[in-house]
Amino acid sequence: MKLKVVFIKSLFAFFMLLLFAAKLEAQSTQIRGFAEALAGYQQDKLSFGLGEQDLFITSELSDKVSFLGESVFKYTGNSPTYFDVSIERIVIKYNIKGNNNFLIGKHHTPINYWNDTYHHGRVFFPTIYRPALFAADIIPLHTTGISFQGHDFGKIKFGYDLMIGNGIGSSDVADNDKYKSVTAAIHIKPADGLRLGASWYNDHISEGASMHGETINYDVKQNLITGSVAYFHNKIEVLSEATLAMNHTDTTGTQNTIAAYFYAGYKIKEKWVPYIRIDYLKYEEGEVYYHNNNTTAFVGGLRYQINYLAVIKVEYEHDDQHATGLTDKYTMQFAIGF
Amino acid sequence: MVLFAFSVFVLNAQDPSLTVIANSKGAPAELKFAELKSILKGEKQRWPDGTKILICLMKTNTAAGTTTSRKVYNMSGDDVNKFWLALVFQGKAPAPSFFNSMSELETFVAQNSGAIGVVTQTTGTEAKTISIDGKKTF
Repeated sequence: MKLKVVFIKSLFAFFMLLLFAAKLEAQSTQIRGFAEALAGYQQDKLSFGLGEQDLFITSELSDKVSFLGESVFKYTGNSPTYFDVSIERIVIKYNIKGNNNFLIGKHHTPINYWNDTYHHGRVFFPTIYRPALFAADIIPLHTTGISFQGHDFGKIKFGYDLMIGNGIGSSDVADNDKYKSVTAAIHIKPADGLRLGASWYNDHISEGASMHGETINYDVKQNLITGSVAYFHNKIEVLSEATLAMNHTDTTGTQNTIAAYFYAGYKIKEKWVPYIRIDYLKYEEGEVYYHNNNTTAFVGGLRYQINYLAVIKVEYEHDDQHATGLTDKYTMQFAIGF
Repeated sequence: MVLFAFSVFVLNAQDPSLTVIANSKGAPAELKFAELKSILKGEKQRWPDGTKILICLMKTNTAAGTTTSRKVYNMSGDDVNKFWLALVFQGKAPAPSFFNSMSELETFVAQNSGAIGVVTQTTGTEAKTISIDGKKTF
């Protein structure tokens, strides 16, 4: 009797394996990645360094279901090996109908163009580093939750994202409070290379949440309103985004922070693009949620695209920050895709 | 001036015409060029009957791939590769299938529902030819 049960179980396992193998054969999976190496000169010192190594996997599981996973390996000073692995995205997508999709997992918050378009794909970055508003944690880069997404409707190619997530202070596996974050974003692409977008983010960050490496000792009601203009066509590259962050606490009321950047580049030859970027961060007096660090930065650089998988950039950056004063640095980056 | 005009004429004369082929399931018999462009840029991902669109292109370093990049995408082959890598990375569209030979591409299109491909000449497989703006080639 026992032998019969084992046999039936083995047979079942065999058929399951066959079924799984057939599914594997039918699916289409790709593994790609990005990496970068850097050299920088600042305060009379030349340094070489490694950036992130990003691996992303895409898989078409069926006619309706697809998967995207992204993991990043990067230097972390407080790790025993000095490197950490982070799961940046795990997104399972189900096509509802036409260009309308339902997504669940850990996403790039579709709050602005840069975050949704480039994120860890350094070979795509028009400049070496992200704009200052990312380093200042003005916007939540990731959201774990569900979303509805649609794109390219009508002549103006209208698109939307509606996302509900755990919100700021939560981990990747559970929410830290009963409140949910909501992101609503729309965009249009009325002409070749032109994309105009706007978004709204709302969250209730609870007392005790961990943010910016610190514990928040008060409740914060946050609203972020973002607008973006992107134009990449023929020889011209223009990208500008601005976020108005409104943080409200019961004791301090509402403080407004403005974070913006403007990027412009011009293709002078097939592979050469000189560019500039200006960053601007302005915090209202009394802001308690962000670290008040009013910043103006200028970036000027030259990008040389060897091919679509290999890009070299040299860049000069001048920063004027409330916290650190005036700084200048020169950086060279070799970014690749593979 | 005459030399320049002659050069342009020679270059155009060397540019092969493109033909769009599709699987019998999914694609209509005729498309407008704007619709074709929208499909091949991943903006439209389903046929009217709901079948998923599978994009099939010649590799961008082939003559047919270079012509497709220029005529359909208005980009260099390298920029088309970058365009698709970015779109796949953003999770906005599945990657197209790229082929070394037109016979491989045609066979794939003929065998897979919803597939559409661009070639410079057909070899007579079961894939159907799609008219673009009422013409068999463009």
